[in-house]
Amino acid sequence: MDPVVGPPVLAVRVVGSGVSGSSVGVAALEEGSRVDFARLRSSRHSRCLVAMEEAGLDVLILGRPGNIHWVSGARSLWTAGVRAFGPGAVVVRSTGAIHLLSVWDEGVPASIGRERLYGLSWNPVTLASSVAAIPGVAEAATIGTDAMSPLFASLLAAVAPRARLVDGAVPMWAARRIKSDDEVACLRIACALTEAGLDAMVSALRPGVRERELIGVFDERIASLGVTTPALEGVCCVAGADGQLRQVPGDRTLAAGDVIVLSPGALYAGYEGGLGRTWIVGPGDGGEAGGGEGGEGRGLADLYRRWRVAFDRLLGTCRPEETGANLVGAWTSTGERLPSIPLIHGVGVGVEPPVVGPARLGEDAVLAAGMVLSVQGLVSEPGVGTVFGRETILVGGMAGDQAEVLTRFGWGPLAAGGVGG
Amino acid sequence: MLAAADVQDGPDLARMRRDRYARVQAQLTTHDLDGLLLIGGSNVEYATGARVLTADAGRAAMFRTVAYVARDDPFPHVFAAYPEGLPAELPADHIHPVVYPELGIRPVGEIIGREKSVGLDEYTPAMWRELVGSRLVDFVDASPVMSAARLCKTVDELRCIRMAQHVNEQAMPDVEAVLRPGVRQTDLSGLFLRRIFELGATGNAVDPIWQVMPDRISDGPWTVHGDVAFPTATTDAMLRDGDVVWVDTGITFCGYASDFGRTWLVCAPPGPPRPTGAQLDQFARWRAVVEAVLDTVKPGATGGDLTRAARSVLPADARTPWLEHFYLVHGVGVDSAEMPLIGTDLGSAFDESIVLAPGMVLVLEPVIWDDGASGYRSEEIVAVTDSGWIPLSDHPYWPFGS
Repeated sequence: MDPVVGPPVLAVRVVGSGVSGSSVGVAALEEGSRVDFARLRSSRHSRCLVAMEEAGLDVLILGRPGNIHWVSGARSLWTAGVRAFGPGAVVVRSTGAIHLLSVWDEGVPASIGRERLYGLSWNPVTLASSVAAIPGVAEAATIGTDAMSPLFASLLAAVAPRARLVDGAVPMWAARRIKSDDEVACLRIACALTEAGLDAMVSALRPGVRERELIGVFDERIASLGVTTPALEGVCCVAGADGQLRQVPGDRTLAAGDVIVLSPGALYAGYEGGLGRTWIVGPGDGGEAGGGEGGEGRGLADLYRRWRVAFDRLLGTCRPEETGANLVGAWTSTGERLPSIPLIHGVGVGVEPPVVGPARLGEDAVLAAGMVLSVQGLVSEPGVGTVFGRETILVGGMAGDQAEVLTRFGWGPLAAGGVGG
Repeated sequence: MLAAADVQDGPDLARMRRDRYARVQAQLTTHDLDGLLLIGGSNVEYATGARVLTADAGRAAMFRTVAYVARDDPFPHVFAAYPEGLPAELPADHIHPVVYPELGIRPVGEIIGREKSVGLDEYTPAMWRELVGSRLVDFVDASPVMSAARLCKTVDELRCIRMAQHVNEQAMPDVEAVLRPGVRQTDLSGLFLRRIFELGATGNAVDPIWQVMPDRISDGPWTVHGDVAFPTATTDAMLRDGDVVWVDTGITFCGYASDFGRTWLVCAPPGPPRPTGAQLDQFARWRAVVEAVLDTVKPGATGGDLTRAARSVLPADARTPWLEHFYLVHGVGVDSAEMPLIGTDLGSAFDESIVLAPGMVLVLEPVIWDDGASGYRSEEIVAVTDSGWIPLSDHPYWPFGS
């Protein structure tokens, strides 16, 4: 049951690395192709231990579900939103062991070992004692955490009195930053799932449908493919002529000609795929979505062309060694305003740094080959409307250090030039 | 006095926000704190009414809305990840640009100031570096303040919970109708999720659970405590004739959670499933436990009174009629499980310390388990009134009874 610890298996991007036509599916294949989850877990485990060593951490106490999932490979119940901090996993450097808060072994990789599971408790004192009883914790000099509560910090100080509590989040982000080939394979599947869900949303656009109903349409479609873990409820918001982007879906009923932003995401084995499009609600009588009438529609088509220019400039700049400041500069160099939402955030097992956007957010971030990013852009004009789009990309995935765009979905009425009919 | 009819209407959300904020302020006074810094999603929702995009834990942690509540300030300060979700009454000088607690939180420190005693629900390493560890402010645990404020619900909160539960229940007949061999758990989830949004849900709170239960605990999954494993995550597993399925779903309406629990049976056509005599007997015992507990629910009763009532209708040597890692009763509100928690490993002294009061919401989730013949589990939700309780759930016990 001892974990196998080898050198970290990092992604070495090979151009055209043989993504076969059968690779994007969720069922196991008898010959064992698709994702090798044992290799994936082993790689992550090694990278975690290396990160702990580099940061000088004896013990890592993890509360963030993304970190817990990443390090343990345990398939846990999806719940919406952030939960209150609790010590969900503990990694000890001296033994290399991963200990997991789980009442049962269902969904837990056998390599963790039943003896390394500790149970749920409603009593924080009991939970702190469970953590303290893990071999290596009581004598630890340095404990890293990715989150903490005032109550648990004081309990931890009592059970591990010699330990200094330090930043465990930054080492975890560092370990997660560059994706292995298996991780990229998971991300591709997540992207394909999201595309399927987006396709269902687009097909459901008709007058009378409410924004929030589209969330259910997306969820039902990915569930039909065997996955019930959305990354987000999918930003399905009518974008009015005021040029404001809403991201929280509401009860608004769609009308023919409405411009709607759709930006869903899905998780496969924890990995997040996501993409966004701006679409136009058709008449609902079987006719094509023609877009707004006359001049308004042409205005939107112009916005889309502007968006395309700015977004392509941004994508072209998503190369190894480029900084957050350069990415912002690429967008604004086209003359477009910087959106109020971030231009870029990392993705892996959910959202990761860097986050690059307005107010010098993430200006010092540096891209590297093997990072996966959600890239989004917004062009809006009061009185005309809004065009929003988002893709998931792999930095350095193509020849010449160009990014590979992992998501694929057309632009329908906006790209067809049929806008304004 | 609260009556069942009072919770059938839609909530007055502006009034609900005012009432909740007043409760938070009252607790700040009681605990003699200068303010509260909140980053936890449900705490921020309760204190501010700010709506956010429903997302998985990773996205929700990175793109958070953060609240600072200063004592005696008529409004909370909100650092909004989603400005469109802010309540209309919030004045402009209390609305701030988004901050990212995972990365840094300096602007929040400037609002708080120095030499104060401030409650904090949780923090990140970046918050520690920039604010919490600086000792310019004395940060203490915010949970006593927030759990006291959140414990007893206003009538509008009860209406939200009732509405969430109603939407959840209304979606279920469609799911029950497709239950047959070969249907996958994920198929049930897909149908359920589409229906809740058609019926008016604000969001989904938990991946719907349709767990196929073993006949005996030793059939697995293995557990750390030797009790039944539940709830485990849904997969594309196919249902089969004779499966006992424990259902557990939770959706949200205006921030408030539902909690739907039932036991279903799968059978081949033509159906409907017919419980065996042993299964009907489990259901009868489950019902007896619920009735005994509800007979005890009134202001002044303790959590200990409820656990004793639950055991009183079973033989002295019977299994504890709830899961060891959970509880007989939990509350529900802006979190799907919150205080009061009764029957947990916090112990009997803790149960005795819980005194029921009007406005508390109780989710009863007893479990009857006959090792070798599986078990029965369902959930009922009630709100404590001045003299007893009113139901917030209302759904038949298909296929066991009405």
